[in-house]
Amino acid sequence: MTDPVQFMSHHTAVEYSLPEPSRLGVHFAVQLGRGKIIGHRCPQCAKVYVPPRGYCPLCVVETTDADEVSIADRGTITTFSVITPLQYPGQQETEDYVQATLLLDGSDTTLMVTGLEGIAIADVRTGLRVEAVWAPDGERGAAAVGVRGMGLGDAVKGWRPTGEPDLPREQLAEHVL
Amino acid sequence: MTRDVAIVAFAQAPLDQAPGQTETLMLLPTITDALNTVGLTRRDVDFTCSGSADYLTGGTFTFVQMLEAAGAWPPISESHVEMDGAWALYEAWVRLQHGDVDVALVFSSGRASASASLRETLTFQLDPYYLAPIGADYVSLAALQGQAVLERTGRTDKDLAQIVVQRRHDAIANPHAAVSGDVSVDELLRNDYVVEPLRTHDVGPAVDGAAAVVLVAGERARQICDRPAWIAGLDHRVDPHYPGVRDLAQSKSAALAAARAGVGNGGVEVAELCAVCTPEELVLTEALGLGDAVTINPSGGALVANPVMVTGLVRIGEAFRQVHDHGRQRVLGHASSGPCLQQNLVCVLEARD
Amino acid sequence: MATTWKLEFPYRRSVGPVIGAFLTGLRDRRVVGVRTAGGRVLVPPFEYDPDTGEPASDLVEVGSAGVIEHGAWVGTPLRTHPLDRPFAWALVRLDGADTALLHALDCGSAAGAEPGARVRIRWRTETVGHVSDIECFEPE
Repeated sequence: MTDPVQFMSHHTAVEYSLPEPSRLGVHFAVQLGRGKIIGHRCPQCAKVYVPPRGYCPLCVVETTDADEVSIADRGTITTFSVITPLQYPGQQETEDYVQATLLLDGSDTTLMVTGLEGIAIADVRTGLRVEAVWAPDGERGAAAVGVRGMGLGDAVKGWRPTGEPDLPREQLAEHVL
Repeated sequence: MTRDVAIVAFAQAPLDQAPGQTETLMLLPTITDALNTVGLTRRDVDFTCSGSADYLTGGTFTFVQMLEAAGAWPPISESHVEMDGAWALYEAWVRLQHGDVDVALVFSSGRASASASLRETLTFQLDPYYLAPIGADYVSLAALQGQAVLERTGRTDKDLAQIVVQRRHDAIANPHAAVSGDVSVDELLRNDYVVEPLRTHDVGPAVDGAAAVVLVAGERARQICDRPAWIAGLDHRVDPHYPGVRDLAQSKSAALAAARAGVGNGGVEVAELCAVCTPEELVLTEALGLGDAVTINPSGGALVANPVMVTGLVRIGEAFRQVHDHGRQRVLGHASSGPCLQQNLVCVLEARD
Repeated sequence: MATTWKLEFPYRRSVGPVIGAFLTGLRDRRVVGVRTAGGRVLVPPFEYDPDTGEPASDLVEVGSAGVIEHGAWVGTPLRTHPLDRPFAWALVRLDGADTALLHALDCGSAAGAEPGARVRIRWRTETVGHVSDIECFEPE
């Protein structure tokens, strides 16, 4: 072979420890196991965070168990993307799917969700009302409660339309992401 | 003509954190503490600069979440360096030189425990053609520097152990030390080698950590702090990256940074050196021109705790404590980055009574 | 239950004319360095002179054997190290070079890694144009 070398392969692999769940993370997961979603309400500005992160980023104060509130397992899609999965190494999806931001009733923060069921991709829209499709009792794993606390892990398998009328866009303007 | 800027506050997260404590929650009270000591709130901060390394936890843009600990709403003027917080301090000092704002918050954090092997993780910061593919980790590289230093100076591993004896003794008074206490050279020499000549005690224990520093320019510093530590000199320089290209027994960049920071203009009483492995203290002591009269690392230095990405900022913070709490007149804090002391930052602090 | 997770990236890096020349040389079991304007031969080569910042492109071939400048014995290798048995890191100045190349040295004990000792490259059976075409150094 006489061609000059122009490229070099470098397969990098770095290993990390799974983060030990925080006390609040464990509590959130245990509640999910019971079919309950909880949040924290900031004692200063009253904004509700789901999942609870232990502080309010707007007021920069810590929140505690005293600030815990119950959250409904239904809500509204505020925005969404239709993802056509790129087949990169490690990709597990092959079919188009929807990634949506969901504002649960009672929350001020949105969740990033997939697994919309009972609706064609073309019919997904801002304002759509959906409810949780829970994993069966006993199968709501505490593991994988979302990267950076953005998800509900294995406890909720998907989301299906409730059939309620859509919420008007204007009501969702503050909660797009 | 540079504008007078002083360090007025320094706070460090406690070593013991709740299991799974997020980095943001390590930082939040640390920043609050630093600001509280001088009666400031987050709203008083004109510019924020932070340091961290996404490599430590393997998440892209993880530093964005840390910003919530600083209070980023309403939107703030901030910047970030993928480096030890000492370089965030440098950037904040530069920003204050513009003259239009007076108060800067500097912080950094890191969860070294997130890596299954910190030595393997940090190797990915190195040259991707010649060093990363052969897995040349920071302890191995420090060991090569250690060999160069011992050969050049005629010192031995006993001399290295003696440094550790002193640092661990001094660290008894430091609540942020991961290791402290009285130990003998003989006891230490029974420890296993990691990479010769370095034994386990020759490498500072990597820990999770966070720290915050408040910089204030001009007269405002005197108004809010009883004994500000004025930044009399601040400089950083870098050596070539590849270890085979330079003389590992010396650090030209540290010497140059020290000269530019004016270490020689009056000397220093105390030097907090960011030496993560024992031979680095020998290299730095020589490069910075520190004689026997200078007290080295009264906190114990990085050999008793190495909060990765925070260690350099902590050295500067400890130097501040020497001025503010212990009545010193002129001290220096040093930070380093890269293999074998490749990059060096020197900060000279002085009291102005 | 898993307690770790792995982040993997399959990088494919362009190497340019200088590093590319070095890697091409390795594939052919030759070592190529670069001579700076000041006359210093850098091995491995860089595209710039680290002392002046000036571009460097004057390629020169150097020997496959040389002298240890510093060696550090590794009793317990990491998974990512070049050898899976105890070895020494060695900075080796190959014959004709003015700087040292870092790689593993398969010398059996720390005594085999003393400065001044002569070592030579052990080439991998199949070379592809990568720094690991050098399997390691071995005593000459």
